[in-house]
Amino acid sequence: MSERIIQADLRSARKPFRFKSDWGWAYLLIAPTIIGLLILNIYPFFETIILSLQKSQGLGPVKFVGLKNYQKLLSDKQIWQSTVNTLYYMLLTVPVGVFLALILAVLLNTKIRGRDVYRAIYFLPMVAAPAAVAMVWKWIFNAEAGILNQFLVLFGVGRINWLSDPNTALLSCAIIGIWSAVGYDLVLILAGLQSIPTSYYEASEIDGANAVQRFFHVTVPLISPTLFFVVMMRMMNSVKQFDTIYLLIKSNNPAYKKGVTLMVLFYREAFEKFNKGYASAIVLFSFVIIMVFTALQFIAEKKMVHYE
Amino acid sequence: MRKFLAALLTLCLALTLVAPIAMAEEKVTITFAFWDTNQEPGMKAIAEAYMAEHPNVTVETQVTPWSEYWTKLEAAAQGGALPDVFWMHSNQFFKYVSAGMLLDLTDLNLDYTPYPEGITALYHYEDKQWAVPKDYDTIALAYNKELFDKAGIAYPDDTWTWDTLRETAKKLTDAENGIYGFGAPNDTQSGYYNFVYQNGGFIFEDGKSGFDQEATQEAIQTWADLMLKDGVSPSLESFTDMGNDDQFQAGKVAMVFVGSWMMSAYTNNEFIKDKFDVAVLPQGKQRASIYNGLGYSGAYNTANPEIVKDFIAFCGSEQANILQAQNKAAIPAYKGTEHYFTDLFTNLNIACYTEMIEYGVQFPFSPNKSLWEGTETELMTSAYTGEMTFAEACNQLHETITEIEEE
Repeated sequence: MSERIIQADLRSARKPFRFKSDWGWAYLLIAPTIIGLLILNIYPFFETIILSLQKSQGLGPVKFVGLKNYQKLLSDKQIWQSTVNTLYYMLLTVPVGVFLALILAVLLNTKIRGRDVYRAIYFLPMVAAPAAVAMVWKWIFNAEAGILNQFLVLFGVGRINWLSDPNTALLSCAIIGIWSAVGYDLVLILAGLQSIPTSYYEASEIDGANAVQRFFHVTVPLISPTLFFVVMMRMMNSVKQFDTIYLLIKSNNPAYKKGVTLMVLFYREAFEKFNKGYASAIVLFSFVIIMVFTALQFIAEKKMVHYE
Repeated sequence: MRKFLAALLTLCLALTLVAPIAMAEEKVTITFAFWDTNQEPGMKAIAEAYMAEHPNVTVETQVTPWSEYWTKLEAAAQGGALPDVFWMHSNQFFKYVSAGMLLDLTDLNLDYTPYPEGITALYHYEDKQWAVPKDYDTIALAYNKELFDKAGIAYPDDTWTWDTLRETAKKLTDAENGIYGFGAPNDTQSGYYNFVYQNGGFIFEDGKSGFDQEATQEAIQTWADLMLKDGVSPSLESFTDMGNDDQFQAGKVAMVFVGSWMMSAYTNNEFIKDKFDVAVLPQGKQRASIYNGLGYSGAYNTANPEIVKDFIAFCGSEQANILQAQNKAAIPAYKGTEHYFTDLFTNLNIACYTEMIEYGVQFPFSPNKSLWEGTETELMTSAYTGEMTFAEACNQLHETITEIEEE
C-alpha cells in the first residue's frame, strides 16, 4: 500500500507531460511493426473489400458490380462443398493434432533417455519447406509405387488411391498437416508444462493422486491457457491451409471437388482463372468463417480456460 | 588504427555506390523469360551469341515452369515489372496485347516472309505485329516399339483410323500387369482437341464456342470412352499420380499423343530413347493435328526499347533459329531451318511432325481463353468421374464461354 502512494507521488511530482520525450520514443519503437501492419495487412484488407465489389478479370478494365460477386458466391455449389471440405479438414487435424502434441509433450517432459533427440526429431518437419514435404508425401501416397500401399499389400489390405479417391484425398492431406505441425505445437505445450511449479505435483502426490489424476487435475487446468492458444492457432491455420492441398489436389484430380478447400479455390480463381473480384469475395467469406470460430473459442475460453 | 579501418570501410562502401552509376552508360542488362526447361540450352545459346556480338549487353535468362509462368507474368504486368523479352503463347496473347502490355514490333528490322503465315498472323493485332514467330509444334502418335514387338503387332502408319487405334490398344492392354495400350488423359492440346477437329467439330471459331456442336461432343465422348468404356487407357486416378508423358516414358503405356516439344525430353531419357518412334496421328472423319507457334514479345515499358527490339530481331534471325534447332529446343519457325532440328533425331520418323503441318489446325484460342481454360478442366473432370455426362459438361462449358466472351 505504502509503495503505491510513493509511486503516485512521484508521478504527480514529474514534469508536465511532453509528447516528444515520453510517447515519442514509444511510438518510434513500435513504428516498424505498425507501419508493416498498415502497409502489408490493413491496407490490403480494405483493398480486398473494394476488389470484391468489382469485376476484375485478367488485365482488362475494372468495373464496379456491387454485390454481384457475393450473389454468385451464394449460388456456387463448389463454394459450399469447399466450406464443408475446409471444416472437415479442420475437424480432422485440430483434435487429433493437438491431442497428439499434448501426449508427446507430456512424455517429453519426463526424464527419458535421449529426450533432446526426440524433441529435435519431432520439430524437424517444421523446418522443412511445405512444398518439399508435399512432394515427399506424394511419393509415399503414390497408389502403385508408394511405400504406404506396398505395406498395405503386404498385409493383404489392397491398394488405396490415397490422393485421387474423393473419400481419402483430404484425409491424406490432413495426415501430412498433422505430421508437419505436431512438432511446433509440442514445443509450445512443452513450454507451458515447464512453467508448472513442481510443488503442485508434490502436494497432489501427498494427497494420494495417481499419474492419470495428476494429469487431468493438475496438468490440464494449468496448461489450459497454452492449450487454448494452440487450439486457436491450429484452427485458424487449418482454415488457411493452402500449400499441401494446392500441390496435391489439382483440377484434373477426380477428388478435386471433395478435396479443394476455400483457400485453394481462392487461389485458383485469383491466379489461375485470373478472376480477382470473385476471388476477393471468396477470401472475405473465409475470413467470416475464421471470425465465427474465433468468437466461439473466446466464449469457450471464459468457461474452460483456467488462469492462475 | 581503428579510425583508419573505419575510413577505409566507408570508402569501400561509397565506391560500390558510385561504381554502377558510372558503368550504366555502357553496360545494359535485359531480362529474357520463358517456361520450358528443355529449351533452356537453346535459349541460352541465342543469348550468348547475341552477347558475343554486343559486348555491352547482358541477356539474363529466367526460366519459370509453365504452371507458374502466367501467374507470375500477370503480376509483373500489373506491377509494371515485366521482363524485357518473353515468350508469348496464343492462349494468352490477346489478354496482353489488348491491355497494351506488349512492345510494338512492326517497325522491326526483320523480314516476316520466312515464317509460316499462320503463326505471324497469330500475333497480329490491329494492323501491328506484337511478337516474332519462334517455333511451331504439332502433335504426333508416339509408340513403344518394344511393347508392339512383344505383342507381334505392326507399327502404326498413315493408314490408321480411330478404330485401328482402339483395336490395337485393346490388344496391347494388359491391365493386370499395369500396361495400357493408349493414354487418353483429360488433356486438350495433346488430347481430345485433335479428335474434335478430326471429327469435323471445333472448339472456338468466329467468336463462338463449338462445345455445343454434336461433332465436338461426339469426339470428346469417343476420347473419354477409350478410358471409361474400352479400358485401354490408365484411369484418371492413375494419371493423378503419374502424368501421361511419364507413364509412356516408364513403359507403362504403349501409345500416346505427344507434342514435338517433348522430343528432346524423350530422347534424353535413357529408358525410353531407343524403344520408341513417332507416326502421324490416326484419322477420324478427316486428318488433323493441333499445331501452335510461340513468339518472342517485348515489354511495352522496357527501359531499353531499341536494344530489346534488336535482340528480338536477332531471335527471329536465321542464325538464332538454327541455334535453337541445334540445341533440340523446338522446330524453328524460320523456313528452311527445320532440318537442323529433325536431323538431330536420326533414328526417329521425326519428319512426321513437319508433314502434319499440311493439315494442321491452329490450337484454338479466343480473346479470353485464359479465363475459361480452368473451368474446362474442372467440368471435364466432373464428366470423367460420372458426376455429369460429357454432353452436359460440354453444354455447360459452352454457356460459360459464351458468357465470358460476349461481355
